[in-house]
Amino acid sequence: MQQLSVKHLLGIKDLTAEDIHLIFETADNFKQVINRPIKKVPSLRDITIANVFFENSTRTRLSFELAEKRLSADVINFSSSSSSVKKGETLLDTVNNILAMKVDMIVMRHSSVGSPHFLAKHVKCKIVNAGDGTHEHPTQALLDAFSIREKLGDVAGKKVCIFGDILHSRVALSNIFALQKLGAQVMVCGPKTLLPTYIQELGVKIELNLRKALEWCDVANVLRIQLERQTIKYFPSLREYSLYYGINKTLLDSLKKEIVIMHPGPINRGVEITSDVADSKHSIILNQVENGVAIRMAVLYLLAGASNN
Amino acid sequence: MNILIKSAEIIDPNSDFHKKTKNILIENGVIKKISDSNHKADRTIEGKNLKASPGWFDMRVSIKDPGSEHKEDINTVAQAAAAGGVTEIACLPNTKPVIQSKDVISYIKSKAQSTTLNIYPIAAVTLEAKGEELTEMIDLHHAGAIAFSDGSKPIWHSDILLKALQYIQMFDGLIIDRPEERQLSNFGQMNEGKMSTLLGLKGIPKLAEELIIERDLKILEYTGGRIHFSLISSPGSLDLIREAKKKGLNVTCDIAAHHLCLDDSLLENFDTNYKVNPPLRSKEDINQFWKALADNTIDVIVSDHNPQDEESKNLEFDLADFGILGLQTLFPVINTYNKKIKLEKIIEKLTVTPREILNIPIPKIEEGAKANITIFDPETEWVFSEKDIKSKSKNSPFIGKKLKGTVVAVFNNNQHFIH
Repeated sequence: MQQLSVKHLLGIKDLTAEDIHLIFETADNFKQVINRPIKKVPSLRDITIANVFFENSTRTRLSFELAEKRLSADVINFSSSSSSVKKGETLLDTVNNILAMKVDMIVMRHSSVGSPHFLAKHVKCKIVNAGDGTHEHPTQALLDAFSIREKLGDVAGKKVCIFGDILHSRVALSNIFALQKLGAQVMVCGPKTLLPTYIQELGVKIELNLRKALEWCDVANVLRIQLERQTIKYFPSLREYSLYYGINKTLLDSLKKEIVIMHPGPINRGVEITSDVADSKHSIILNQVENGVAIRMAVLYLLAGASNN
Repeated sequence: MNILIKSAEIIDPNSDFHKKTKNILIENGVIKKISDSNHKADRTIEGKNLKASPGWFDMRVSIKDPGSEHKEDINTVAQAAAAGGVTEIACLPNTKPVIQSKDVISYIKSKAQSTTLNIYPIAAVTLEAKGEELTEMIDLHHAGAIAFSDGSKPIWHSDILLKALQYIQMFDGLIIDRPEERQLSNFGQMNEGKMSTLLGLKGIPKLAEELIIERDLKILEYTGGRIHFSLISSPGSLDLIREAKKKGLNVTCDIAAHHLCLDDSLLENFDTNYKVNPPLRSKEDINQFWKALADNTIDVIVSDHNPQDEESKNLEFDLADFGILGLQTLFPVINTYNKKIKLEKIIEKLTVTPREILNIPIPKIEEGAKANITIFDPETEWVFSEKDIKSKSKNSPFIGKKLKGTVVAVFNNNQHFIH
């Protein structure tokens, strides 16, 4: 069996292009599996996976849980809306308690940047990062790139623009890494207050004008405007944001070409994207969700099979 | 008891023996004889490449005592200082309680007696170092406060800074500010740059430091008085200070040893032993810092010794406290990463300039003087390990690193420490 170059999936940053292609090929197979009448395979039988979520999540946690169950793993879930430190227990203690119950893999979401990396240094089991603060969300980036590949045949050479709150988005950062590794050109578009000051150093293009960005790209990946992750006000109002950065059908129809619309969800309908765009034939938003399960199955399967050395 | 230091090159520009290699006899804490002859002594210190300089002075130390004695106390800070060749320190007021009353000053001073370390407390400018109401600075000065600062916090309130600079002119006092515009650095975890973008961590822009320096210098120009900027971490700040010095303003500044050698790329693995404030900057910035040392824009090198226990450091990156140990590795770190600065200049910034700024007598290596001396060897290489650490806390980024330069002995207060 081919193997990944990493023991954990902490971020796209650590992966090679070969790793990503291997994940895609594995996901192709699993996508067939989950579209069969019998959707389950025995690949991870006797493997126990804990989904440890220190931040609210519905779709990512469901997607992971489904992927794990389709692979016949035993699954336990731990959710806590706040960091456990506030309850007087450290992250390390919480996770060690779970591991003491003989768990093989941890899928973790946490609001602190680098927390899965911290964990990987201190515990023995395999770790999948399901989102660490404003850093990375590797499985989202993988499913996004996989969905582009599915829709357009290849990622290499395509022009992808990420719209919205780039500053606070782990999806944006992981997407930039993944798309660049696969040979796509990447642009970011949003109000300047939502773009990191040094984003250009990552080799991405910057565009402040929505229309110009749409004219440039083949794929528009529209991020959720996350007011909850903002401790400081970065723009005056959602009203103004949607007026100048919301993507609507009139705007799309006025372009001379068709572009693919993506969104990692959950959508704020009428804010960053209107309903007629989200539900249009240009949109592959629900394909992303379906592909998410196949991608997560591939990641878990490949990591479980990887040697511990 | 007498101790003979054999063939040590004396580095002390104020001494007649400057740059001469001599035997130094110390008897009952006093320099008895400096000569070429071999005296009989109870103990002899000898070795290759020995140098003797006035005892080193570290202008910025968090002693954590009183208040956080589980991280460090005055005893362990004295041991760490001795092992690092430091005989005198100025300590920050951010203790619990804050250094804003005479009793805390006398507690600190008395507790350090009978060690090789003299501690000069820096008192708070404002009550609880909150930046709102002035402390009784005249009274604190007479009780032994060596300077005034809100320590790890900037003096954020412009009018408070203005009043403080005016108020302490009656005793030629010194304000030490740690320049940081907190509205710009709020929630920041590391240097703002490519690395912070790659890591998704909120950056602390250099602008946050430069803005406050620009403001402070304007106020200083208006009020007169003296200000010292602590922990410079931006070449832009140095340009401002360079200009201000040319203009004749009474301004000085220091830099931490770790800012002279560590850069923000080291944060890649989220090691909280690289989490300091101000944050580690870029490699290019480091080159500028060395230039500013050479042209004396930077007057002093400090350790910014800040002990943090495992419970404050072995955490998710954003939850971990800022700060690293520094007293014990102060000289070896500077010496190891030295970018072509003469040894004498480094020693000057550890001995003469901090004492000049704080108006403290500069120890002299001459016969009849009280021995306040550091004996060191700038050539020997060694690996710093966790078991070498004298502090209660172990938060050093230099564990396991090969360092060049060792401290051989220190003498002060009729006490000595020999490695």
